[in-house]
Amino acid sequence: MTGLVTVLGSGAMSNDIAGIAGIDAMLVIGSNTTETHPVIGLRMKQAVQNHGTKIIVADPRRINLTDQACLWLSQKPGTDGALINAMCHVIIRDNLVDQEYVGERTENFEACEDAVADCTPEWAEKITGVPAADIEEAAKIYAKAERAAIFYTMGITQHTSGTDNVKSLANLALMTGNLGKSSAGLNPLRGQNNVQGASDMACAPTVFPGYQRVDNDTVRMRFEELWGCNLSGKPGLTATEMSRAMIDGSIEAMWVMGENPVMSDPNMCHAREAFSKVKFLVVQDIFLTETAEIADVVLPAAAYAEKEGTFTNTERRVQRVRQALLPPKDACNDLVIIQAVSERMNSDKKTTFPSDFQPGSARMEVAEAEEIFNEIAGAWPAIAGINYKRLEEGGIQWPCPDEDHPGTPVLFENGFPRGLASFTPITWRDAEELPDIEYPFVLTTGRVLYQYHTGTMTRRSQVIESADRGPIIEINPDDASRLQIKDGDRVNVASRRGTISLPALVTDRINPGITFIPFHYKEAAANLLTNDACDPECKIPEAKVCAVKVEKAI
Amino acid sequence: MKITINGMEITAHAGITILQAAEQAEIYIPTLCHVRGRDADQACGLCVVEVEGNETPVRSCDTKIQEGMHIRTDSEVLKGLRNERLAILAETHFGDCKAPCNLTCPGQINVQGYIAHVAKGQYEEGLRLVMERNPFPFSVGRVCPRFCETKCRRMLVEEPIAINHLKRFLADWCMANKIDLRIPKESNTGKKVAVIGGGPSGLTGAYFLARKGHNVTVYEAAPQLGGMLRYGFPEFKIPKAVLDYEINTLLQLGITVQTGRKWGVDYTLQDLKDSGFDAILIAIGNPLDKPLAIPGGDLTGVMGASGFLKKFTTGEDVDYGKQAVVLGGNNVAVETARALVRSGVDEVTIIVPRPKEEMPAHERNVADAEREGVKIMDMASPVAITAPDSGLDIELIRMELGEPDKRGKRNPVEIPDSNMHLQIDTVVYSMGKMAAKDGFTGGTLEESLELTPAGNIKADPRTFLTNLDGVYAAGDVTSGPRSVIQAVVGARRSAENIHAQIMGVEKEAGEGRFNFSRGKSFKNVVPETFTGVSSAPRGKMAERQPESLIRDFEEVKLGFDEEAARKEAERCLSCGCTAFDRCDLKRLSIANDINLNKTGMGTKPLYEKDTSHPAITVDLNKCIFCQRCMNSCEYEALDLSSAGFDEKNRAVGITLKFNEKCVSCGKCVDNCSTGALNKKEQIVPMVNEVIERVRTTCPYCGTGCQLDLKVKGNTLMEVTADPELLPNYGDLCVKGRFGHAFLSHPDRLTTPQVRRQKGGVLEPVSWNEALDFVAENFRSILADKGPDAFAGLSSARCTTEENYVFQKFFRQRIGTNNVDHCARY
Repeated sequence: MTGLVTVLGSGAMSNDIAGIAGIDAMLVIGSNTTETHPVIGLRMKQAVQNHGTKIIVADPRRINLTDQACLWLSQKPGTDGALINAMCHVIIRDNLVDQEYVGERTENFEACEDAVADCTPEWAEKITGVPAADIEEAAKIYAKAERAAIFYTMGITQHTSGTDNVKSLANLALMTGNLGKSSAGLNPLRGQNNVQGASDMACAPTVFPGYQRVDNDTVRMRFEELWGCNLSGKPGLTATEMSRAMIDGSIEAMWVMGENPVMSDPNMCHAREAFSKVKFLVVQDIFLTETAEIADVVLPAAAYAEKEGTFTNTERRVQRVRQALLPPKDACNDLVIIQAVSERMNSDKKTTFPSDFQPGSARMEVAEAEEIFNEIAGAWPAIAGINYKRLEEGGIQWPCPDEDHPGTPVLFENGFPRGLASFTPITWRDAEELPDIEYPFVLTTGRVLYQYHTGTMTRRSQVIESADRGPIIEINPDDASRLQIKDGDRVNVASRRGTISLPALVTDRINPGITFIPFHYKEAAANLLTNDACDPECKIPEAKVCAVKVEKAI
Repeated sequence: MKITINGMEITAHAGITILQAAEQAEIYIPTLCHVRGRDADQACGLCVVEVEGNETPVRSCDTKIQEGMHIRTDSEVLKGLRNERLAILAETHFGDCKAPCNLTCPGQINVQGYIAHVAKGQYEEGLRLVMERNPFPFSVGRVCPRFCETKCRRMLVEEPIAINHLKRFLADWCMANKIDLRIPKESNTGKKVAVIGGGPSGLTGAYFLARKGHNVTVYEAAPQLGGMLRYGFPEFKIPKAVLDYEINTLLQLGITVQTGRKWGVDYTLQDLKDSGFDAILIAIGNPLDKPLAIPGGDLTGVMGASGFLKKFTTGEDVDYGKQAVVLGGNNVAVETARALVRSGVDEVTIIVPRPKEEMPAHERNVADAEREGVKIMDMASPVAITAPDSGLDIELIRMELGEPDKRGKRNPVEIPDSNMHLQIDTVVYSMGKMAAKDGFTGGTLEESLELTPAGNIKADPRTFLTNLDGVYAAGDVTSGPRSVIQAVVGARRSAENIHAQIMGVEKEAGEGRFNFSRGKSFKNVVPETFTGVSSAPRGKMAERQPESLIRDFEEVKLGFDEEAARKEAERCLSCGCTAFDRCDLKRLSIANDINLNKTGMGTKPLYEKDTSHPAITVDLNKCIFCQRCMNSCEYEALDLSSAGFDEKNRAVGITLKFNEKCVSCGKCVDNCSTGALNKKEQIVPMVNEVIERVRTTCPYCGTGCQLDLKVKGNTLMEVTADPELLPNYGDLCVKGRFGHAFLSHPDRLTTPQVRRQKGGVLEPVSWNEALDFVAENFRSILADKGPDAFAGLSSARCTTEENYVFQKFFRQRIGTNNVDHCARY
C-alpha cells in the first residue's frame, strides 16, 4: 500500500469486481486467486469463458488459475521485480506505450525508461527462470489489450522488495494507460475481510484515518480539533518494529485486538520472544490463540456474527455487518471493551463506573456502531456521503463525498489524488535470503482453499477440517526422487530459524528447487521457518521467500 | 418489445424467454428445474403458460418472447397440467418431510432437532430449541408420557431412542453448567395480560406472552408457583430444586407474580378488567378431586389424592398407619401409592376394577411402583367404607369383564356375591379431577362463565376464548386432566391467540398437514429402509435401588451423563428432512393443493445414501432429476446422469458423483429442489420455529461476499447467499458457506482472564477485575514511561468502527502513533 500511495496518492484496488467480466487481458501475479479469493477467481474464469479474457499467470507454482490462462510465467520466488521490469522494457522497446496517457496524466516516465533500459527479457530469464520469449509474449498481450488489469496479493508484497514490486506494477499499468478506466487497473486483492477498513481507519503508524499523515500539521490540527486533544506528530512503530521494541524494552504495554501475531508473523520464534518479553500484554480475541496464551490479560471478544458495524471489501465497498447471534455469555464486542478500558483509565472517575459491567446478555444496538461510523464520515471526506441508512440498500464504494454520490467503482477516471501519477525507477534486487549449499531450497508460503490464516476459525469448523488435507510441503518430483521422498512421506524442513515436520506432497505444480508450505497449521507452522527481514519502506516482512533444507524424516 | 402477461402490459428486451420476462415483471411462474442461464435437458414441465394463438401450452423457460404476445400463467388448465406433473414427481419421491417423533409430539417440538444438537454436543442450543415450544423441559423431561417414543422408527431396528431422557439431559446439563439461556424477548408492546393460575398451563401462557413483549402478571392461590408440578408430583418425580430453577428461568423474562391470591376470593375477573388488563387467561388446571361416590367416602382417613399429595409434597407430617389402599388406576393414583410407601405405610395396595394391563397409568410408572413394593389388586371395586373401633374397613366387590360393547370394548361388571373386606388405616382415592365443584363464584362474570358438561370451562378450541369478552382459558381447566405437555401446548396456542387478538394482527399460520412419509405406521415402512443401520441398544438411565429409595424422597431416575446422552443421540435415524425449509417440491405441492394420500408417494428406497463428500450428503431417493445441482455448479464438478426414463418421463437409475473439480462450495445444495442434497453439518431440520435471516458480510477473505445467516433463537442454522446481490451473486466458497461452526465452538473465550505475575497462570476473573487490572497497568506504564511505551495491533478481522476506536484510543487517550495492523501492506 505504501507503494501505491507514493505513486498514485491512494492505496486500494483501483477497479471493481464486477468489471472483471469485461477485462481483455489480465496479469495475475503473486495471487493464487482461486484458492485465496475463490469468488473472484470464479469471475476470472467466467471472464475467460464469456469474454475471451486472456489471463497471464505469473506464479512460481502452477496454481489452478493457470488452467484458464493463456500463459504461465513461472518466476522464481523473489524475482517478480525483474520480471515486471523486463515486461516494461519490452513495452517501451516495441513502442507499445500509451504516449497520450503518459504525456497527459503522468510524470517521471523518463526515469523509469532509463531504469529498465537494460532489463531485457534475456537478462530477466537468467534471474527469473522464465523464458525470454514468454516474457515478450506476456508484455505484448498485456500492452496490446484495450483493457488490461493487474491483480496481485501478498505474493508480490511480502518481500523485502515488496514496495518496489508494487511500484513496478504501477509503472506497467501507467505506461499502458490502464489506470482510470473500467475493467483495467491495479488491483491488490485484500486477503482478509476488513483489511481495507482497518487500513482506511489508520491502524497504521504514519497516518490518521483516511490516509492523512500524522506529521502534516494541518491534518493534525484538524484531528486535534475533532478529538479534542493534543496529538503526536511523530510517526509510530510498525508491527515488525514493535516486536524489536518489545524485546529491547522500549515498549512496555502492548494491546492486541483480534490478531495472532505469534503464529502469523514470519520468524515465529522472534515474535514469541517479543510477546513473551513485553511487560504487559493485553489480548482480546474469540479464542485462546497462541498470542493470548502468553498474555497478561485475555479479554473474550464477540465474533463477526455477534456485532453490528461495517467491513470494507477489497474493491472499497463499505458493507454492513449485522448481528445474528448473541456472543457467548460474557464475551463482548470490541467497541465496548475499548470504551470500557478508556473510561477506567481515568483514575479519578473510577468510582462512577458501573461496578457490574456485564456484557453479552443484550443485543448490541445498531446505533452504537452507527454513531462511530458517523464520526468517521466526519473525519474522512471520502466516505462523507455514506451512512447506515444508505447501506441498508447495499454496499457503497468509496470515494463517496456526498449523499447523492453513487460511489466510485473505478478510481482515477478523472485524475489522480496527487495530480499526475508518478513513474518510479526501480532497480531490481534479490531476496534477502537465498538458497545455498546448506539450505538449498527456496520456500514460499501461502494459503489453501479450505483454510484461512492461522486457522483459528476454519480449524474449528468440522466440515472444513474434514475437506482439507492438512499441512503439507509441495515439492517437485525431481527433487523428491533425488532426496528419496515419496508422496506422503514425512519430511523435516529446516531454515536458519526453525524446523518443522510434515508430509510431502510431490507435485509438478511446483518447479525444482522450490517448495511451498501453507501457513495455517500450528502443528507444522510455516512461519517458524520464514524470514522477518523487512522491506525498507513499509517494513513488510519477507514471508514469501526464505532458504530451507528438506530431509526425509526417520 | 411489448407483451402482455395476465393482462398486464410489460416492456422487455427481445431475445429473452417468457420466464425471464415474467421474472423481471415480478410475475411468478412455478418451476422446479430452472437455473439462470442454463436449461435443464429434462425440463420439469411446471413453467407451462398459455400463449394466445397457440393451441397447446408452451414451456416459458424455452419460449422466447415476441412482440405483442398475450400470455396467461394462471389458468385452470395450466394448474391441472402442473398438478399432474407434480403428482407424477411425488410418486417416486421417497422420504419424510417431518420425522414421526415430531409429528406425534402434541407440542410439535422439533425432537429430531434437539437430538441432533445433543449428538453435536450443542446442549445449550438444544435446550433453547426445546424451549421454543415447551418452557418446562425439566419437568416434562421427567414426567412426559412420551408419545414420540411410541412412533420412533428406531423401533424397526431394535428399540426407540430414549427421547425424553435426552430432553431431561439437556435441561439438567444446562442447569449443572449454570447456562444462562438468554431467551430472546420482543420489545415491550405496552399491553397487559393477567394469567390466573401459576401451574404448567398458566406459566406457559405467561412465558409465551412475555416473549411477545407483553406485560404479564400471574396470580396464584398457593404460596408458591408450580401448580401440579409442585403440589401434585412428589419430590422423587420432580425435585423441588429443579422445579424452582425451571420456574426461575421463565420468570427471568420479566413476569410479575402474585402468589397467595385466590381467584373469586381476593379478586374477581371484573377487578382484573378494571385494572386495565387487555386480556385474561384462566389456567387454573383441575385442582379438585372428583368425589368418591360410595358410602363412607367422607370419613376421617379417607381422602382425595390431590389433598394427600399436597400434604406430602409440602412435607406435612401425617401418620397414615400401617396399611393403605389407593382407589383408581391413573398416574396420580400410582404416584400416591409410591408416596404412601415413603410415608412409612407398610402395605400399600392399588385397587382397580380392570385388569392391571388396562390401567390408565403408564406401564413404566406401574412397574416402578411394584418394584418399590406397591401391590396391585385388579378386578375389584369399592362398595363402602366404614369406621369400626380402630382403622377403616373397606368393602370390595370382585369384577369380571363383561360382553363386548358396540365398539368391542369389554367393560368390567360386578361378580354377584363376591364381596370381601379389607382392614386398613388410610384410603386415598384418585377418581379423576375437576376444575370447580359447582361452577365459579366471586362475581357476576365468574358466575356467567359457560361450563362443559364435565364442569370445565368451555372455550373455543381454536381461539381459546370463553363466552366472556377478553377472557381466555387453556389447559386442564378446559380439557380435564391431561399430561403436562398437553397443558403446555394448549397454553402456548392460547398465548398465540391472545397475542394476535390484542395486537390486532393475523395469527401465525398453523402447521400444514402436508407430509411426505416413508410409512405412516411401522407396517408401512419397508424393511430395506434401514438396511445397513447397525444395531445399538437403547441407553439405560441409571436409577437408584428400591431398597434405599423408599426410605427417602429423593429422585429415583438419575438421568443420562454426557457420554450416554451423546451415544443415545447418535442412534437417531434422522428421519425428518433437513431441507424442510427450502424444499421446492413440497412448497409447490402445497401451493397446488396436491393430496399425497390420493396421488401417492415413494414407498421404497432405491438408492443408498452417499456420505463420502466431506460437506454434502446425497440421498437420491429424494431426487426428482431437476438437474439444478449440475446446472448451478460453476465448476463442472457434478456428474449427474440417469440410466433412462420411465413411462412417465421420470429419470430412473440416477447417479450423482462429485468429480475432482469440486471445491465444496455447496452451491448445489442451495439449488437442490428437494432434500436430495444436504449440508452435512446442518442436521437440525428447520421446522415450525421462526427462522430469522440476517444479511451480513463474510468474515473470511476480502471479497466481501454477502451472506444470509439463517438463525433460530441464538443458533446459526445455515448460511446461504442471495443470487441477486453483488458482489457475489449467490456464489460462496467452502469457507463462506460452511466455515461458521467456530462461532459456537466450545473453545470460545467466555471469561476474562488475568495473569497476576509473569510465569503465573491465567486465571478467570470478572470483567470488572480484568478492566481494572488493565487500566491500572496502563496508567502506571503511562506515568513511568510515557505514551511511546505503548503499542497496539489491531485487526483486519474487526469492524471498521472497532478499528477506528482502537487507533483513536492510542492517539487520543495514550498519545502515541504506535498502532498498526497485520495486513497494512
